[in-house]
Amino acid sequence: MVEYLEFTLDKFTFKVATDRYYHPDGVWAKEMDGRVTIGLSDFLQQRSGDIAFAEVADVGTTLAAGDEVANIETIKVDVSLPAPVSGTVVEVNPRLELEAEVINQSPYEDGWLAVIETANWEADRANLLDPPAYFAHMQAEAEEEVKKL
Amino acid sequence: MTTETVRVVVVPCSGIGKTYGTVSREAAYEVVDDLRPETSQLVPLSLLVLGEEGACTAVSHNPAITIDGCKLACATKMVQESGGQVAHDLAVLDVYRRHRQFKPQGIAELNEGGQQLAHALAEEVAALIDEVAEGADWM
Repeated sequence: MVEYLEFTLDKFTFKVATDRYYHPDGVWAKEMDGRVTIGLSDFLQQRSGDIAFAEVADVGTTLAAGDEVANIETIKVDVSLPAPVSGTVVEVNPRLELEAEVINQSPYEDGWLAVIETANWEADRANLLDPPAYFAHMQAEAEEEVKKL
Repeated sequence: MTTETVRVVVVPCSGIGKTYGTVSREAAYEVVDDLRPETSQLVPLSLLVLGEEGACTAVSHNPAITIDGCKLACATKMVQESGGQVAHDLAVLDVYRRHRQFKPQGIAELNEGGQQLAHALAEEVAALIDEVAEGADWM
């Protein structure tokens, strides 16, 4: 059972899953046996809005950490998503082609983006945020967003 | 004996400052002004929110087609809360997914993609009005 850190601001509640690591831009990474599943944080999907289309790098694409791994088009914005780890894309969520909204509905489970096979998990993880650090980072970003309203 | 003509109510999103809201309204205007003026009527969401008698009577006596700009689905919910029956509810996002080449941008004035998307949406609404008015898919 995944546990979450939660933060409520105004009418929004943002969840941070505690069983994975995070790129500061809001892409999560969950490693298992050298394979890293990635997706959008709840904060990023809520801030971006309803997703119309998600384009993910093709299977076989080799990426360095920070390279664009996906692009999502929402009712508000187009968002380029960085790969949180280096490696090769070995799987893309097949649901995204026809049901990109699954990212909004289930950002930490069914709405995953891709699986990247990596040989450098330990090194890449050192550049990511653990859940409490991302939670603090996300809180600060959310509060900044509210100030702009 | 008189026969009352069904005039399908079209209720678009009222989201101000939202591109998808503008698309929904442009589509609704095209339907009631140009495509199906005889068999449709526009009811503004704001009048339903106010409980204005004419608007509430229109939705309670005629089938409604709602066009929502986002997942809050205000148009659909408000028709239901006003005692109306939603024959079809459309979401601009779903229509855009079917017409990706028409990327909408702009708010007060839609770009060309937005205008084309509004037209595609209007055509879908018009086709649904025909179905509903013929009674094939209503009640």
